[in-house]
Amino acid sequence: MTLFHFGNCLALAYFPYFITYKCSGLSEYNASWRCVQAGVTYLFVQLCKMLFLATFFPTWEGGAGVYDFVGEFMKATVDLADLLGLHLVMSWNAGKGEYKIMVAAMGWSTAELVMSRCIPLWVGARGIEFDWRYIQMSFDSNISLVHYVAMASLVWMFTRYDLPKSFRLPVTVLLGVCVYKAFLMELFVHMFLLGSWTALLVKAVLTGAISLCSLFLFVTLVHSN
Amino acid sequence: MFEEASEVFENMFKASFPLSFIVLLPAVLFLVSPLPAEAAHEFTVYRMQQYDLQGQAYGTRSSVLNTEARTVEADVLSRRCVIMRLLDFSYEKYQKALRQSAGAVVIILPQNMSTMPQDIVQQFMEIEPELLATETIVPVYFALEEEELLSIYEQTLTSSSSQGLASAAEVLLHTATANGFQMVTSGAQSKAVSDWAITSLEGRLAGVGGEDLPTIVLVAHYDSFGVAPWLSYGADSNGSGVSVLLELARLFSRLYTYKRTHAAYNLLFFVSGGGKFNYQGTKRWLEDNLDHTDSSLLQDNVAFVLCLDTLGSSDSLHLHVSKPPKEGSPQHTLLKELETVSSSQYPEVKFSMVHKKINLADDTLAWEHERFGIRRLPAFTLSHLESHRSAARSSIMDVRSVPGKGTQVDVQTLSRNTKIIAEALARVIYNLTGKGAPEDLQIFTEQMQVQEEQLSSVLDWLTSQPRAAQLVDKESPVVGTLEYYLSRYLKDVKRHYVKADKRDPEFVFYDQLKQVMNAYRVKPAIFDLLLALCIAVYLGVMYLAIQNFGLLYSVVRKVTQPKAKQH
Repeated sequence: MTLFHFGNCLALAYFPYFITYKCSGLSEYNASWRCVQAGVTYLFVQLCKMLFLATFFPTWEGGAGVYDFVGEFMKATVDLADLLGLHLVMSWNAGKGEYKIMVAAMGWSTAELVMSRCIPLWVGARGIEFDWRYIQMSFDSNISLVHYVAMASLVWMFTRYDLPKSFRLPVTVLLGVCVYKAFLMELFVHMFLLGSWTALLVKAVLTGAISLCSLFLFVTLVHSN
Repeated sequence: MFEEASEVFENMFKASFPLSFIVLLPAVLFLVSPLPAEAAHEFTVYRMQQYDLQGQAYGTRSSVLNTEARTVEADVLSRRCVIMRLLDFSYEKYQKALRQSAGAVVIILPQNMSTMPQDIVQQFMEIEPELLATETIVPVYFALEEEELLSIYEQTLTSSSSQGLASAAEVLLHTATANGFQMVTSGAQSKAVSDWAITSLEGRLAGVGGEDLPTIVLVAHYDSFGVAPWLSYGADSNGSGVSVLLELARLFSRLYTYKRTHAAYNLLFFVSGGGKFNYQGTKRWLEDNLDHTDSSLLQDNVAFVLCLDTLGSSDSLHLHVSKPPKEGSPQHTLLKELETVSSSQYPEVKFSMVHKKINLADDTLAWEHERFGIRRLPAFTLSHLESHRSAARSSIMDVRSVPGKGTQVDVQTLSRNTKIIAEALARVIYNLTGKGAPEDLQIFTEQMQVQEEQLSSVLDWLTSQPRAAQLVDKESPVVGTLEYYLSRYLKDVKRHYVKADKRDPEFVFYDQLKQVMNAYRVKPAIFDLLLALCIAVYLGVMYLAIQNFGLLYSVVRKVTQPKAKQH
């Protein structure tokens, strides 16, 4: 029943996206085309990042077990381009008001789902061999959805001209954590030797915390006027 | 919900063509892509023998396998792959597995046989011929122990022995956590190998003094036999025989280089192939030399043929004959000389003659000399084994070094036996007894000594690779090296090939003897359904959460509101 397993993983990964799209009222605005545009921007940004990394960063020649902190940190810094991309999407087309955030986040994370998860699931989950990894990948895509919504809202807040001075610092900090989240996760796994399920849990908790904070800031900003 | 989805797709298609193509691409991939293979563990397995001899089929008949693994303790064995360890192996368990129509059997052998207790080794040696005699339709494989393989075995054992669990909850939990293993071989179904040529080698040392000299033939078969061809190293049977033969070739070629010691006997050395398959190499060689050529050393004047078979251990030597030698014949002379040499120089050796008539009604001939006997050439076989039915002649346990008794080849014993044979032969060809030489005269001493290092290194080389007849073909390094070695000491070294007859083949070999087996971790089908249920529940919760996101929003707003109002 391995195709069934593939179906399971795909359902687990994709349904929340679909539910979010439907329930957030985006469908009423016919924002699907805009979401696709955001997705295309995602592709473009990833391509630029890859080119940049390939050109300017040397391959790590150290031993197998040693973790190249500095190198990985530098590589993670390149992920700032993600923020730029999101900003570009939101300022360029996306529609009015707060729906910008949802459109950008939906498009971005759906593109990520298709690009980075569909192929491994297709190739791996269909085989005879069973591995928990594919279920974990699907959960991971759910977490990414929340993550990108939070990131998009933080970018939106960052670029608002009426952002109070006191908010600037928390927003910047949260943005930094967002960008370096992958790096932090790898650090945790490496230092504490976390198992795969534990790492997933930590990631979920971290993303939950970031999104809750950003939700607080957002609500305060929007309703302080 | 689905109307919305179709609306989305419609808009996309209306928007632009390239985008819809991106959507169609996964559908194309669906149809075209093959399934990948990523196994939990791969390991090499060696198949049991499969061959036909004189129309009779032996061994396992198939090689393909794609079944779930179980151990013998499980209730249901049909169409499953039964894994057994050598330690727990017994013929009854094997038969039980076959009776319940198991899909395949895999037997795990230890890497180093010396860790096995002697009685288990002995028991397995006795069972081997029986395993081959029962015609098995299912594949039987042997694998060498590895950590991963052992862990697979342990896991299969726990899940097999717990199959009789009572409560449904335990069964459910078990399905969620346990790992099943699917064993898959990568090769094709086995089929007969056509045109397999068994190679034999001959070489000679010509005697001095004109035509019509008597010929002495020394024969040993170099192939080995066991329940699995790739695991049969044949140290004692017949690696020891070949090393003795090569050493004798060296010694006598040395004697024959000097005019004073050049005797009036032709010495013909024959290293035969296919010995374990009813001496096919010897049979065809005899046919070619006696029936198809006009003049050959074998036709004119053969004094006797001495076959060497299993000389590597124990303190007894038996000379097996099919007819007791007549008084005055060269055969009888050799018998006497062997008795003399062994009793005077090596009193610890128990030498005896064993008389066994050739029984043509048997499936296979007992010893190699019987082939010569059928063609009316005087022949005998020298061996430390008393009976041709001894299990040590065809066992995979016959390896170079097994500490303890049984099948270990002892180089001192081997060199002692070589010396006995060499001395006896020398006494015959130089007629030393007739000339009144004393009984304890030793010729092979000092420079002419039997070299133990030589024997040992030849034996080491021979046992470093499996020499089953199905594995040694024309280009095999075994044949090449033997040819090279013989041509250093003998003249006229020739190869001789045996191919099975097309219409009525005496022997048929099959391929796919070594395979790579993959063990995939699988979960039972129930597990997928269970998982689907859990995912459905999770998605339901998700749906509710997102629907009611507004609640969270208003809670947060209420929390932040007082702060804002204070400004």
